[in-house]
Amino acid sequence: MTRFCVSLGGEVRKGLLFAWAERLQILLELPFFALFILLLGPLLGAGNQIAAGRVSWALHSSRTSLLLLAFVPALVFYFQAVKLFWRLLAEIQAGTLEQVCLSPLPSWLVAAAGRLVAALAETVLVVAAIYGIISAFVPLRYAWNPAALLPAAALIVTGTGYSLIIGGMTLVWKRIQLLQEGFLLLVMVFTAAAYLTAGILAFRLGERTARTRGTLARY
Amino acid sequence: MTVIAAPRTDGRLPALRVTASETGKGLRLMWRRRAMLLTGAVAQGFTYLMIEFLVGGGHLNHAVLALTLPAYFAFSLAATAALQGSGGIAEEVNGGTLEQSHLSPARPSLLMADRLAALATEGLLPAAAVTAAFWAGYGVRYQVRPDVLVPLLLTITDALAYALLMTALTLAIASIGAVVHVFNMAVMFFGGMFVPAAVFPHGVEIFARFIPTTLGAQVLNTTLAGRPLSAAWADGTLPWLLAHAAVLSALAWMLYLYTLRRARREGGLSPR
Repeated sequence: MTRFCVSLGGEVRKGLLFAWAERLQILLELPFFALFILLLGPLLGAGNQIAAGRVSWALHSSRTSLLLLAFVPALVFYFQAVKLFWRLLAEIQAGTLEQVCLSPLPSWLVAAAGRLVAALAETVLVVAAIYGIISAFVPLRYAWNPAALLPAAALIVTGTGYSLIIGGMTLVWKRIQLLQEGFLLLVMVFTAAAYLTAGILAFRLGERTARTRGTLARY
Repeated sequence: MTVIAAPRTDGRLPALRVTASETGKGLRLMWRRRAMLLTGAVAQGFTYLMIEFLVGGGHLNHAVLALTLPAYFAFSLAATAALQGSGGIAEEVNGGTLEQSHLSPARPSLLMADRLAALATEGLLPAAAVTAAFWAGYGVRYQVRPDVLVPLLLTITDALAYALLMTALTLAIASIGAVVHVFNMAVMFFGGMFVPAAVFPHGVEIFARFIPTTLGAQVLNTTLAGRPLSAAWADGTLPWLLAHAAVLSALAWMLYLYTLRRARREGGLSPR
C-alpha cells in the first residue's frame, strides 16, 4: 500500500511540475478563451445577420453564462487529453515509457493520475480567470448548489476516460495529433458520457498491442 | 600511404539528391499515416459543419457557408501543416534523427524547403478534398476566374509560413505541441471559419487580420464573389495580404534558421 501511495504521489508531483513548466501556454490561452466565449454568444443562431453582413454584438447575461458553463467540460477534456497525448508521445519517443510498466500501479493509472490532478488544477485556474475576465464585460448568473458537484465529478471521470482512449491510440499509432485535434473539436461540440470504461479498455488494448509487438519504446 | 579522395560535396547533384530524398521521406510518411490523415480531415470537416449548424440556428445557412468555406480551406491547410510540422520535428529531436539529417551536404535552408514541400502536400490534399466535397455537395456558387489564383497562392504561402513558424518554435520551446492546438483554435475562430472576419467588431477585425489566414480568406471571398482583384486592392485587403505573406514568410524562415543554429550550438537537435 505504501509503495502504491508513493508511486501515485510521484506521478501527481510530476504532473504538477509539468503543468508549472507550461505556464506560458496558460497565459496564451486565457485571453483567447475569454474572447472566444464573449464573441461566440452573439454569433449563435445569427446566420441571417451574418449573411447580411451585420451582427448585433450585444452581450446577453443568460447566454454568456450558459456558454461559460458549457465551456468548462471542453476545458477539462482539452487539458486532460491534449497534454496526456503530447507527454505520452514524448515518453515513447524518448524511450522512457517502458519504465511505466515497472511501476506497482496499473499502467493506465500511472498515465492518468499525474495528468488528472494537474489538469484539474489548470482547469480551475483557467476557469476562475476566464470567469473574472468575462464578468468584467457581462454579469454572470449562476445558482450555486452542492448538487452540481455530482455532474462535475462525472465530467472529470469522462474527461479521464476520453484521454485514456487517446492515450491507447497513441501507444499503437503514435503520431495521431491531427486525429486527436479533430476528435477534441468534435467532443467540444458533442460532449458525451461513458468515456471512462471505454477509455480504460482502449488504453489497455493499445498497451497490450504495443507490448505484444514489442513497440512500446520503439518509434 | 593510400589516399582515398573524398566524394565532392560542393556540387548541385548531392544537394538535389538530398532534396528529393527529404521530400520523398515526408511523402512516404504521409502515405503510411494515410488512415490518420483521412480520419483527421473528416473530423475537421464535420466540426466545420457542426459549427455552421449552430451559427445557422439549427440549419446550414448556404450564404454563410459560401462566405466561410474559403476560410475552412485555409484553416485546414494551416492547422494540418502546423501540427504535422511541429509533431514531425519533435519526433526527430526525441528520436535523435534530426542531427543525422544535418550531417548532409545540403544547406539547412534547403532541408527546410524540402520539409515544407512535404508539409504543403500533406496539408493541401485533405484541405482541397474536403473543401471540394462541400463545394459540390452543398451547391455553393462561386465565380471562379483566373485572378482567384492570386489570393489562393498568397493564402497557401501564409498558411505554410505559419506552419514553419510553429515548427521553428518547437525547436525553441518545450511543450509547444499543446500550444499549437491553441494557435490552431485562434486561426479557426478569427480566421473566418465560424463567420467572416468582416462582421467582427472593428477592433477584433483589426486583431483578426494579424491571424495567418484571415486576409487570404477575405480576398478569396472578394474574388469568388465575382469582384475583380482591383476591388480587393481598393479596400486594402490585397496589399495587406501581400505584406502579411511576405513578412510572415521572412519571419518564419529566419526564426527556423536561427532556432536551428541555436539548437546545433546548444545540443538541442537531440533529446535533452
